[in-house]
Amino acid sequence: MTAPIARSVRGHALSVDRLTKRYGGLPAVDAVTLRVTAGTFFSLLGPSGSGKTTMLMLMAGFVEPTEGEVFLDGRVITRVPPERRNFGMVFQGYALFPHQTVAENVAFPLAVRRVPRAEREARVLAALDLVQLTAFRDRFPKQLSGGQQQRVALARALVFEPALLLLDEPLSALDTKLRSTLQWELRALHRRLGMTFVCVTHDQEEALSLSDELAVLRHGRLVQTGTPPELFERPATHFVADFLGASNFITGTVSEREAGTLEYMVGARRFRHRLDRENSGIGEPVLIALRPNKLVLHPVEPRHAINRIPCRISSWTYKGMEIHVLLETPVGRLTLYQPTGLTAYTLEAGKPVWVAWDPDAGVLVQDDRPDGERCQVGG
Amino acid sequence: MDRLRTTGIVPVLAWMVLTYLMAPAFVVFPLSVTDRSYLALPAHGISFAHWVHFFTSPTWLRGIEHSLLIAAGASTLAVVCGTLCAIGCWRLSSRAGEIVRAAMLLPLIVPTIVYALGAYRLFVDLRLLGTFTGIILAHAVTGLPYVILTTSAALANLDPRLEQAARSLGASPSQTLLRVIVPNILPGILSGAIFAFAHSWDELIIVLFVASRRITTLPRLMWDGIHESLDPVIAVVAAALIGVTLLLLLPLLLRRATAGAAEDQGS
Repeated sequence: MTAPIARSVRGHALSVDRLTKRYGGLPAVDAVTLRVTAGTFFSLLGPSGSGKTTMLMLMAGFVEPTEGEVFLDGRVITRVPPERRNFGMVFQGYALFPHQTVAENVAFPLAVRRVPRAEREARVLAALDLVQLTAFRDRFPKQLSGGQQQRVALARALVFEPALLLLDEPLSALDTKLRSTLQWELRALHRRLGMTFVCVTHDQEEALSLSDELAVLRHGRLVQTGTPPELFERPATHFVADFLGASNFITGTVSEREAGTLEYMVGARRFRHRLDRENSGIGEPVLIALRPNKLVLHPVEPRHAINRIPCRISSWTYKGMEIHVLLETPVGRLTLYQPTGLTAYTLEAGKPVWVAWDPDAGVLVQDDRPDGERCQVGG
Repeated sequence: MDRLRTTGIVPVLAWMVLTYLMAPAFVVFPLSVTDRSYLALPAHGISFAHWVHFFTSPTWLRGIEHSLLIAAGASTLAVVCGTLCAIGCWRLSSRAGEIVRAAMLLPLIVPTIVYALGAYRLFVDLRLLGTFTGIILAHAVTGLPYVILTTSAALANLDPRLEQAARSLGASPSQTLLRVIVPNILPGILSGAIFAFAHSWDELIIVLFVASRRITTLPRLMWDGIHESLDPVIAVVAAALIGVTLLLLLPLLLRRATAGAAEDQGS
């Protein structure tokens, strides 16, 4: 049944080169160059105002860039109007046509392409079958739940065998439980079709779980691209470390360097960091990002640990799967996540404890904070 | 919100106001079935003689024909131009759109007699004076605001992303207009069309200025009739005019009523 869709769809590569869009002199997208490999699930991630939606509009052809080019399989398509790009698009809020039934909505792209009626019906059925909505073909959009509307939007965007699929915050209108179910469905659909998906989202968890590759945007600029583990475990800058999950930051000064490791000081305290990629000279400031789950709490001083500091429990929150502990330390406030059930002793506010971490627990990141937000922590 | 009280003095007052407003219009119905030969209430019984006269006299039949022709032409023109204009303003959705929309309401604000005078002067040069084309054009302009108001109201509830969705799915701008935008705002367009039709149907002043004696719309024939004699046929025509207008507005009122009832049930 789904053969007409699955057969002919294959991945296409999309890339943009120094793409810039200015509104009244202010850049919404600023000289972004990126490449979406054919067949990948690619996400554009960023907070609101980061230019990610403008990026998607530029790719779809609704917005013309001030500078730069858009390529599909190496061919320039910058000035091709949206209806001739042959890109499927799932809009935020789905934008289903309220005056048409589910089947009519899905048939729309075929009708405007003057596909013969018999073929049209077969393809609509195949598309509805793909999203398991054949039973709802005669309903109107407003008679469907949010999740069903999302699937109609998907069927409508896929039925004409587009070169690629653009998704604008595809799951943002749904509740948490449904969202995770649809994340699985979307992922499975992508694997099955082998198409290129480009998705815009502000939800870092969604981006991490859906994408093969993602790009983090900030103030219209590309900050970092990579696979989800690359970005989460090796963030390049303070912003990426902070935006993707939570992170502690320690600002220090390099005091010693050996092969593969460096030592940095915060006040009079020394810490060791295993170098991953970047190198800093002695005397230079460093910013280390530490995930809260990489910190380990000890009731007494852990003498074997290389990085350790005494601290006080400021407060803690029980989260079910884990406990979030806020610590006052000589190097500033640190947040620590600890799986529940591990603590052999009671957590008490004000209690003196020790916190330790491995030299390879942290990541040396570039400090891209605006000047006002930089504060030196010291003890 | 508190429901309006539907008992006591309030409904009585409401009906009194309504009666005061509507009675002068509806008095033409008893007048039209008078058994006398001049404009007066029936004295001894009801007679449809004047109605028969209205529907058999070549003069009045030609009046119906002219009025229908002009109203149909003018409302069609107003609907096409007004709808396109409203959609254009909606897509601009900025200050420019607001300004154009406001400018399009001018025909409602400018006194009709001033507009009629201007049209008369202009039509002399354009050689449109005394032609059907001229009067249709003039009525289309004055009917435009109704279409723009109702269509803009319908567009305000339309998700602008529908247009982008249609384009991304392969529809050209004109296919988007005809297949997505127009079907979704059709109720607004239709009410605009009805208002524009009704407006042209009973318009007199512009007709007096720019039409020749050859063009005899119903309001004009009534006007002449009142001048020359108090023929009760005038009441018949008035009743017919009101009847046609009500008939046109009826589907609109019914739709509003059912929509309102549905909303009441929903809340």
